[in-house]
Amino acid sequence: MVLRIYDWLDRRFDLRPAMEKILIHPVPSWVNWLYCFGGITFFLFVLQVITGIFLMLYYVPSPDHAYASVSFISHDIQFGYLVRGMHHWTASLIVVMVVVHMLRVFWHGAYKNPRELNWVAGVFLFLLMMGFGFTGYLLPWDQKAYWATSVGTNIAGSAPIIGSFILKVIRGGTDLGAVTLVRFFTIHVMVLPAITVVFLVAHFLMIRRQGISRPF
Amino acid sequence: METKLPKGRETSQDHNGAGVSTEKLSRRKFLSYGIGGIATAIFAALAYPLAGYAVSPALRKQEEHWIAIGSIKDFKPGNPKKVDFSFRKHDGWTLVNQKSNVWVVAKGEGEFNIFSPKCTHLGCAYHWDDNQKKFMCPCHGGVFDITGKVLAGPPPRPLEKVSYRVQDGKLTVKGV
Ligand code: HEM
Ligand code: FES
Repeated sequence: MVLRIYDWLDRRFDLRPAMEKILIHPVPSWVNWLYCFGGITFFLFVLQVITGIFLMLYYVPSPDHAYASVSFISHDIQFGYLVRGMHHWTASLIVVMVVVHMLRVFWHGAYKNPRELNWVAGVFLFLLMMGFGFTGYLLPWDQKAYWATSVGTNIAGSAPIIGSFILKVIRGGTDLGAVTLVRFFTIHVMVLPAITVVFLVAHFLMIRRQGISRPF
Repeated sequence: METKLPKGRETSQDHNGAGVSTEKLSRRKFLSYGIGGIATAIFAALAYPLAGYAVSPALRKQEEHWIAIGSIKDFKPGNPKKVDFSFRKHDGWTLVNQKSNVWVVAKGEGEFNIFSPKCTHLGCAYHWDDNQKKFMCPCHGGVFDITGKVLAGPPPRPLEKVSYRVQDGKLTVKGV
């Protein structure tokens, strides 16, 4: 069925050469299961995007509604606990997978010339994942969310000289409140995903261009 | 995915430098079906709960509210009366004050026709014209008689009746 649709499109658009160029390429013989972790991370990221979009169907980023809309998702919407649970657990798992991927790259010395820039892109991806975690943690607007963000933003605020200004920029004012919640939400669902996609494309294009490194 | 290698070159090298034999082609086929199968399974395992999640509010049973709107003596036959009321109801995760109204038409002997305030065409609010003794809808000229029957205009059905109860001379209606 899928193959017949593909054939139908291929007869009209001559897709085959392009698809074969993208999908059929040699994988070096030394590649083993340890090379899976980047792909696993990417899979989890896609899962986060999907479950995140579905959470947005009911979530409202305002102090009046955030907590109640999240508990509505968990208790009143069918499979709500599942969708929220997947987003929650995958958020942690993705950090684990990014770190394992990074350790593998480090252990194999794959960051060395000529792949330095891909390591740099990777570091940005790591920071972006941290950003997702930090901004997402506030969104349920419960006690844990509020105080964790209070502590987290105060750490930024403890920087010398510009600390108090940075604190106010992050919180959107002196206090952690409605403005903080909306900006964390916007960063979480719009800003970070957009930047992440750019870095992912760069990461993958560089891998494709340079090929997978020979270990050590 | 099928490769385009000619059948005859069973063990020669292809342009990728990998040895390609008919045996390897079937291995490739096996793997691509395997990947396709796993991908389909993951997709299905995700699609089912996500679809349920998205349509779940549509599958909910509507809440029932019964609202006391006065004594049966307040309503005289031949004289439809609009009664405004409000009640508390759930709207998603919030509790809201829902304002609503019904048209009450007494039929005598404790019997009533209670009409939903929405025109059966496209939901506009209609009113009772006391001179013509008809319900008139301003939107597209729908006209109903006192029993709710369509007399003119586009409405496809008679006015919708709302359930009611009479207890100890008090009239209670189902709020929507
Ligand atoms: C969202 C996060 C990330 C995703 C989705 C991702 C994805 C991938 C994938 C699919 C590969 C192919 C090989 C493999 O999987 O091992 C790869 C390779 C690579 N990644 Fe990442 N990565 C991420 C984060 C990182 C981080 C945090 C670093 C290091 C700071 C990094 C550095 C590299 C390098 C240097 C390579 C080339 C490895 C080689 O040629 O052997 N990546 N990445
Ligand atoms: S909505 Fe009443 S006539 Fe169209």
